[in-house]
Amino acid sequence: MSTDKQFDEYYDRVHLQGGTTCCPGCGGPLLWRMILDAVGPKTVVYGDGPCAMCAIRNIKLPNFSIHFSFAADGATGIVAGLRAKGREDITVVSSAGDGSIGDISIGKVSAAAERNENMIQICVDNEAYMNTGIQKSGLTPFGAWTTTTPMGKEAMKKDLPMIIAAHKPPYVATASVAYPNDLKAKLRKAKEIRGFKYIHIVIPCPTGWRFDPAKAIEVTKLGVDTWVWPLYEIEASVLRVNSRSEQKPVKEYLDAQGRFRGMSPEQMDFLQRETDARRKNLLEANGKRLFL
Amino acid sequence: MSFTRMMEGNEAAAWGAKLSRAEVIPAYPITPQTELISNIASMIADGRMKAEYIKVEGEHTAMAVAIGASVTGARVFTGSSSQGILFMEEPFWMPPGMRLPIGMCIVNRSIAPLGTLRPDHMDSMLQRDTGWIQLYCENSQEVLDTIVMGYKIGEDKRVYLPVATCYDGYFVSATATPTTVPDQGEVDAFLPPYKHEWYSLMPEDFRMHGREMNIAKARYEVQQAQETAKTVIEEVERDWRKRFGRYYDGMIEEYQCKDADAVLMTMGSMTGTARDVVDEMRSKGKEIGLIKLRCFRPFPREELRKIAKKYKAIGVADRNTSLGSAGGGIVATDLARALYDVDERPVIADFHVGLGGTDVTMNQLEYMAKETLKAAKTGKFREAVDWVEFHDLGPVM
Amino acid sequence: MSSVVRSFRPEVDQKKCQKCGICQTFCPEGTVMLTDEGLVFDYRFCKGCGVCANECMFKAITMVREEG
Repeated sequence: MSTDKQFDEYYDRVHLQGGTTCCPGCGGPLLWRMILDAVGPKTVVYGDGPCAMCAIRNIKLPNFSIHFSFAADGATGIVAGLRAKGREDITVVSSAGDGSIGDISIGKVSAAAERNENMIQICVDNEAYMNTGIQKSGLTPFGAWTTTTPMGKEAMKKDLPMIIAAHKPPYVATASVAYPNDLKAKLRKAKEIRGFKYIHIVIPCPTGWRFDPAKAIEVTKLGVDTWVWPLYEIEASVLRVNSRSEQKPVKEYLDAQGRFRGMSPEQMDFLQRETDARRKNLLEANGKRLFL
Repeated sequence: MSFTRMMEGNEAAAWGAKLSRAEVIPAYPITPQTELISNIASMIADGRMKAEYIKVEGEHTAMAVAIGASVTGARVFTGSSSQGILFMEEPFWMPPGMRLPIGMCIVNRSIAPLGTLRPDHMDSMLQRDTGWIQLYCENSQEVLDTIVMGYKIGEDKRVYLPVATCYDGYFVSATATPTTVPDQGEVDAFLPPYKHEWYSLMPEDFRMHGREMNIAKARYEVQQAQETAKTVIEEVERDWRKRFGRYYDGMIEEYQCKDADAVLMTMGSMTGTARDVVDEMRSKGKEIGLIKLRCFRPFPREELRKIAKKYKAIGVADRNTSLGSAGGGIVATDLARALYDVDERPVIADFHVGLGGTDVTMNQLEYMAKETLKAAKTGKFREAVDWVEFHDLGPVM
Repeated sequence: MSSVVRSFRPEVDQKKCQKCGICQTFCPEGTVMLTDEGLVFDYRFCKGCGVCANECMFKAITMVREEG
């Protein structure tokens, strides 16, 4: 069989047409291939907004979106419609970016969590409004350059997973495309749970974070290994830490990206201390019921 | 079994949603719509009604949930007023543009500033460019009937447009009038289950409309659907008359217009008062008539052009404002455009009345009728708009 | 098609390739595949990002400048 044909068959099998309009090295298409592998073809995808929308356009499953100010709510309608039609065998995956879930649609996602809507809500977090040319969002990390924070962002990154966890939905998790087995296991688990499931993935953005696309997975892995983006799950308010407890220096992660070039040593120290404190708290709370 | 009793507009609307077998109802409370959704909640709770009732956290979400559910294939019902309509502005444009026949009630209430809970028509009229069909109701019975007919009209595949049943807050929503609730089985025979031919999210049959269309083409097709809706509205209303014995004359109703040189044009609850005023003036020999504008979108251009030559003056009661406009209220502006090139066209006397929900009194309607009769005689109306509220017309009657 | 936007293309030394599949796992576009005939690339859609070459522990993939 010719190579082209082999690939065409593969794209059919994974329900994702090759050749997205995402930037080289974008974590979006990679994430979607992993998600669809885990949840399977009896799925409707709702979502739009982030650059990863360029990947959603290539999905070969039923998909629908409104705008990024509509995270989770159109999906609520789809879930209700499927229930009315007796088709609860279909999984609804609702997806939105950090600008959507963290900022303009934060009320929507909070309400969907509170109503315990039966969907998997994914946050595709590339840490800024990338689709419109790299503007700061509530989930842009401390110290990061964006076009609207040229001196580096002064505020901290919103802790969305914990905000959602405070609504006490059945399942909240963080994940990374650099750890695909962990990510897929979390999605498979979420699919079997009834109610509102929230999985937050930080994906690499070479264009906005300013690094060589070839390093996309390397940088993503560093984010996890430095505990800047730790991997954990909260199931029925009980925390389970998935990250290894070893920690690489945060500076390694910051030095690998152009967006942190303007950070002073004091700021980097501050971030290291914050990350250390977070790591300590998470490890101490590991296996326990959170105080939410 | 059908039954008749006194019923407020908001309860009649809930019955309309129930009889229509609405499957997904996303809604957020706002005065004066509130009883509509609490009635629906009771009816679902005690088993009279079966629907997915989504208690959303805001109106912007309510319309988004409506869109998602409609694309999935469910018949959707929702409702709001005033600030709530404003808050759902962003998604409000999607159903007509996407050709999703959602049904909703706009329980008319004026818009801030200044904050009031009372009705005028600003909240629905500000949506006049969107492509939603808009029908205005005078009383509870008309509300119930229009909601059910609305689904038949909107879901017709020649139309595929959402329908807004508009009725005045308090004056209709909270005023009890005799209402007949038809038998569910008879309504089922009139209104089949919802099935959209252009949309499906089922993995075995994924259909999505309009992704390749260009904007001009998309807008044009909605305009064509609005034009076709005129025919479908008449068809559906005649069918309703045959089955249920009630008829609203289609898009406009001419009341007591025989030999009238001058007619008033009203919308919504003030029509009831206007009927009484016209009857009284007729009994005193004044030849004044009344046109009830029931359908505002699509604007009944052709029908109005046909009947316009019968009258020398039309006095339009505009319970709305379009500040900075070419001259006057929204209905008068549409009417003027519709009649612009008609050879024998009437004078248009335009009145702002009932703004912010002030009562439209019999004195005010009588004043407007007299001014319109004067205009019919002189062939002129002395000003662009007469703000009726600023005249001292004696005690409220 | 992608050769128009691609500056570099991946090329594999099949003898060095240990068939671990890491490149296939992490290719953002899914244009790297381990087959019976060895490692192949879908040059219709490969963007030349270089992740595959960067992740390969055996340095079996090199990024070569696109001609033309």
